[in-house]
Amino acid sequence: MLLEKFLWGPINDPLLLSITLGNSRFKLIMIFKKYLAIIKISLLSVMAYRLSFLMWRIRTIFTFLTIFYFWSSVIPQNNSLFGYSHSQMLTYVFGITIIGIFVFSSSTNSVGEEINDGNLSNFLLKPINYFSYWLTQDLGDKIVNLAFTIIELLILFLLLRPPIFLQKDLVTILLTVFAGLIAAITYFFINMLMGFIAFWNPEIWAPRFIFFVLLGFFAGQYFPLDILPKPVFEFFQLLPFAYLLYFPVKVYLGQLVFGQVVQGFAVGIGWSIVIFFIMIFVWKRGLRSYSAQGR
Amino acid sequence: MLRRYFKVWWMLAVAWTQIAFSSRFGLIAFSLGKILRFVFFFLFLVILMTKTKNIAGYTFWQVILFYATFNLLDTAAQFLWREVYRFRRYVNSGSFDYFLVKPISPLFRALFGGTDIMDFFVFLISIGFVVYSIMQIGSFSIYSIFIYILLVFNGLIIAMAFHILILVVGILSTEVENVIWLYRDLSTMARVPIDVYKEPVRSLLIFAIPLGVMMAFPVKAFLSLLSWQFIAYAFIVSFVMIFVSLWLWKYALREYSSASS
Repeated sequence: MLLEKFLWGPINDPLLLSITLGNSRFKLIMIFKKYLAIIKISLLSVMAYRLSFLMWRIRTIFTFLTIFYFWSSVIPQNNSLFGYSHSQMLTYVFGITIIGIFVFSSSTNSVGEEINDGNLSNFLLKPINYFSYWLTQDLGDKIVNLAFTIIELLILFLLLRPPIFLQKDLVTILLTVFAGLIAAITYFFINMLMGFIAFWNPEIWAPRFIFFVLLGFFAGQYFPLDILPKPVFEFFQLLPFAYLLYFPVKVYLGQLVFGQVVQGFAVGIGWSIVIFFIMIFVWKRGLRSYSAQGR
Repeated sequence: MLRRYFKVWWMLAVAWTQIAFSSRFGLIAFSLGKILRFVFFFLFLVILMTKTKNIAGYTFWQVILFYATFNLLDTAAQFLWREVYRFRRYVNSGSFDYFLVKPISPLFRALFGGTDIMDFFVFLISIGFVVYSIMQIGSFSIYSIFIYILLVFNGLIIAMAFHILILVVGILSTEVENVIWLYRDLSTMARVPIDVYKEPVRSLLIFAIPLGVMMAFPVKAFLSLLSWQFIAYAFIVSFVMIFVSLWLWKYALREYSSASS
């Protein structure tokens, strides 16, 4: 106990920390500790209801199996369709599952309810940035989801032995990760924006429902978008949805030429910036009309 | 007694419809979302069938009939038993106690107490697609239509049994949301002919979790692809499931402890 206090005391004692490290470094550590606590709480809350968590994992597995077996049957081995071989399509299915979990696991669905309940007031009074708080919560969610999904897919891979394509080029892998990060950040901005509807209308689930329906189709969750007729596909590429799921997986598959990769990143980052500014604008406008109803 | 229950159902359905209409934005958005969901997957099947002549040996209109039948049963279940989605709230708050003290069956109240008008539009569209795809397939007999309708009703009974089981889980563990969404996710496997799936998934959908019996058997029977043994099996499954679910419901009620009302 005494040894622990001696070893870890300086880290837990704000006065000692500020004296030993100086003010700015001390502030940085305190901020880091604050957000680390949010991640820990997020991890713990996910595991709090174990039956619920188990059901959720089973759902993820069955959703994957539905799409996997569907495409296995539509494109049998040694066949191709829409320019995809059996192996490429199954790799696409694995890819959208992993990228989808990373991008779409988010707790920002609760933002609208918080505004409706008036609980937003708590955050406005606390010394914490609202967006950083949710971004950190998201990170906790993503860590848990990604960890379990990777384990599940590994087990399914060993059981099903699908002939999936493993990317070996390091640059392509790094570009895929970068595309995934942009997708995750863009989705975070979109989700926050959907939640801010609550500033003006208590009905938040209806527009969110339409958004999820559009996402399923426009993001390439059920099929690669390039199987669509060319004019339709080109239109889809102008929308932000394609860069949430389809684009990162295509980068991984190495099926895009350099120009297409650059164009994809440009459009994806562009949408991310545009949605960010819309989000900030709506947030500021929303705060003006916020009345903390329910408190 | 049937008349009394129908009156209660009608009263509750009108009340929930009024609630739905109180937020016209929500009503329009949800209805639009459900229609879009239907249309998008239909478009996907159309695009797919332009490149592949069949899926698991089924032609375009046969695949559409599978999809339309899935939607018919799925939306009928949501239209009739939407109250199951709200059940957790009643158990957690103790409001379920009021179901138990009223002079109608608490099971009836928990199942049929919240009819969802927003699913009615897609239900009508599904019926239209079923009729149209049957006409496009052509070469059908009165018998095949009759067996199709019979197995659709049989499918509804299986769906009701599933919903009762979800209520049972809700009473015993208060865990309803993920269970019902697990059921919904599994049932989407039957959007396409279940012959698409390899073993053991196909057998799982027929023998373990009989969603294939519920959604695919009516179409297979219509297309004369189902033997009389499997038709008999479908009715046995619905009978057993209803019997077991009702028995479990009674068990759950005995185990129920109120959260205090």
